[in-house]
Amino acid sequence: MNSAIMKKTMYFFVLPALLFYCIFWIFPILKLFQYSITDYNGYVQNFNYVGFSNFKTLFKEEVLMISIKNTLIYTAITVILGNIIALLIAMLLNANIRAKGFYRSAFYIPTLFSAIVVGFIWSYVYMPEEGLIASFFTKIGLAGWDTNFLGSYSKALYSIIAVDIWKNIGVSVIIYLAGLQTVPQEMLEAGRIDGAGKWKLFRFITLPMLATSVTINITLSVINGLKAFDFPFIMTNGGPGISTNTLIFAMYKMAFTDQLFGKAAALGIISFAIIIVITIVCVLTLNKKEVSA
Amino acid sequence: MKTESRLKRIGTHLLLLILVFINLVPLIIVLSSSLRSPRNMTNPLNWFNEFTLDSFISAYTRMNFPIALWNSMVLTIVSVVFVVLFAAMAAYPMARIRSRTSKFLYMFFLAGLVVPGQMVLIPIIQMIKGLGIPLGQYTPILMFITCSLPFSTFLYTGFIRSGVPEEIEEAAYIDGAGLSTRFWKIVFPLLLPVTVSVIITQGVWIWNDYFFNMVFITKTIDSPLPVAMLGFLGDQQNPAQWNVLFAACILCALPLLAMFFALQKYFVGGLTMGSVKG
Repeated sequence: MNSAIMKKTMYFFVLPALLFYCIFWIFPILKLFQYSITDYNGYVQNFNYVGFSNFKTLFKEEVLMISIKNTLIYTAITVILGNIIALLIAMLLNANIRAKGFYRSAFYIPTLFSAIVVGFIWSYVYMPEEGLIASFFTKIGLAGWDTNFLGSYSKALYSIIAVDIWKNIGVSVIIYLAGLQTVPQEMLEAGRIDGAGKWKLFRFITLPMLATSVTINITLSVINGLKAFDFPFIMTNGGPGISTNTLIFAMYKMAFTDQLFGKAAALGIISFAIIIVITIVCVLTLNKKEVSA
Repeated sequence: MKTESRLKRIGTHLLLLILVFINLVPLIIVLSSSLRSPRNMTNPLNWFNEFTLDSFISAYTRMNFPIALWNSMVLTIVSVVFVVLFAAMAAYPMARIRSRTSKFLYMFFLAGLVVPGQMVLIPIIQMIKGLGIPLGQYTPILMFITCSLPFSTFLYTGFIRSGVPEEIEEAAYIDGAGLSTRFWKIVFPLLLPVTVSVIITQGVWIWNDYFFNMVFITKTIDSPLPVAMLGFLGDQQNPAQWNVLFAACILCALPLLAMFFALQKYFVGGLTMGSVKG
């Protein structure tokens, strides 16, 4: 029966999507591999093949290691802190209280703002002397504190990471909350009667029931972190120095400001490899955990 | 026992209110400052000490609000319509046929999710030029459709596999209905919950995207809202312009906020699609 209904001609339905996807996504990605071994500048279509010299130059320069390190820090903090905060908020919201909808919306609203607007708003929050945090410090008598967040080598990266968490946490909260609502109350009740403490109830009943939400949220935030570009681009321009360069930002700058597209393509290939490996490891680990949970 | 649980509830509310307050402080400041006249330079911590729409009027004209809003609407609506059609169609065979080809296609689309657009921009521009497609107001639509396909086909495929049994199509098959009738008349209408989810998740990022718009759109008259915001970039350093800048921020976010409050139920349902078992 099945084979009679589900004919191979069905594959024609994939064609429009596949065409767009291959022309505007897959083929350009393949071109990147070609350009990575050339001295192409991105504008003039005559270039020479230079072997692996782009990769060699990259490995000699500081910017590669710093942007790898920054990207990993960015991803680790947004994933871990973002998910813990989101889960805690969702658990508070899951209590039997009124005005749940109001609270949920309040946490979700920042996700509706364009990254451009968020960048403007937080540039003001972080502005030294006159910004929100600086004014607040002055008001409570901490005027002497260093409030130059975005201009500081040690603080700029963490400051933009905080913005990323602020902007994206609403979606995670909503996904966790929906997951929590599927945890059967009777199960928790039974656990309580058997004498399980709060941590044990969470660890052995709630968390396994949340497995799908955890997988989705962590996977999405890992990908989002590894692709981080918006806030270095809008808020710090990668600076001060190169202290907030992420892989994708460094690559963008190499291609468009320095007009070294061959080298940028090589950095793209390295970034691509890093992103793929981390994502695959992450998805496989989570899937294994999800099955065993 | 009862008073204890009531205390606990009050505690939860208190904690949540504090968290909400911290979360929304930047936005409260933005709102309060945007309601001042452009020259009012009082400390931003003195909230709502003036109510005037002067800053809004100034921002409205500077960003060409009605035109920018129209441009945003055209870009988003056209892109989302194509995403829904293409992704739903592509998901149909991927969900129904159990073969290596179908499994490969599914993974092939999903893998695109990890590639950032910034990385492949130059080859994309070359491709578009090579095909003779003019760069301009509507070029970003091509990229919005393409970049939305991985997540949308993932959502549709999951839903068809678990929520639209093959038996539904049997009666139509016996009546002699062809593949395309079966898909458009029977399967597609049943996909409504995912379609809502795709419209919301993809619509929000397309509406807010500044990157592809910034790259392809060069004329002010063609700019959607996020690109119109770029015109205020210089004002970040100039405190005298903050009130107008903040008014522009509110104007830029307003259409989506209004949509959210009108269609809250769908937003929440749409976001959780595919993330909850069963």
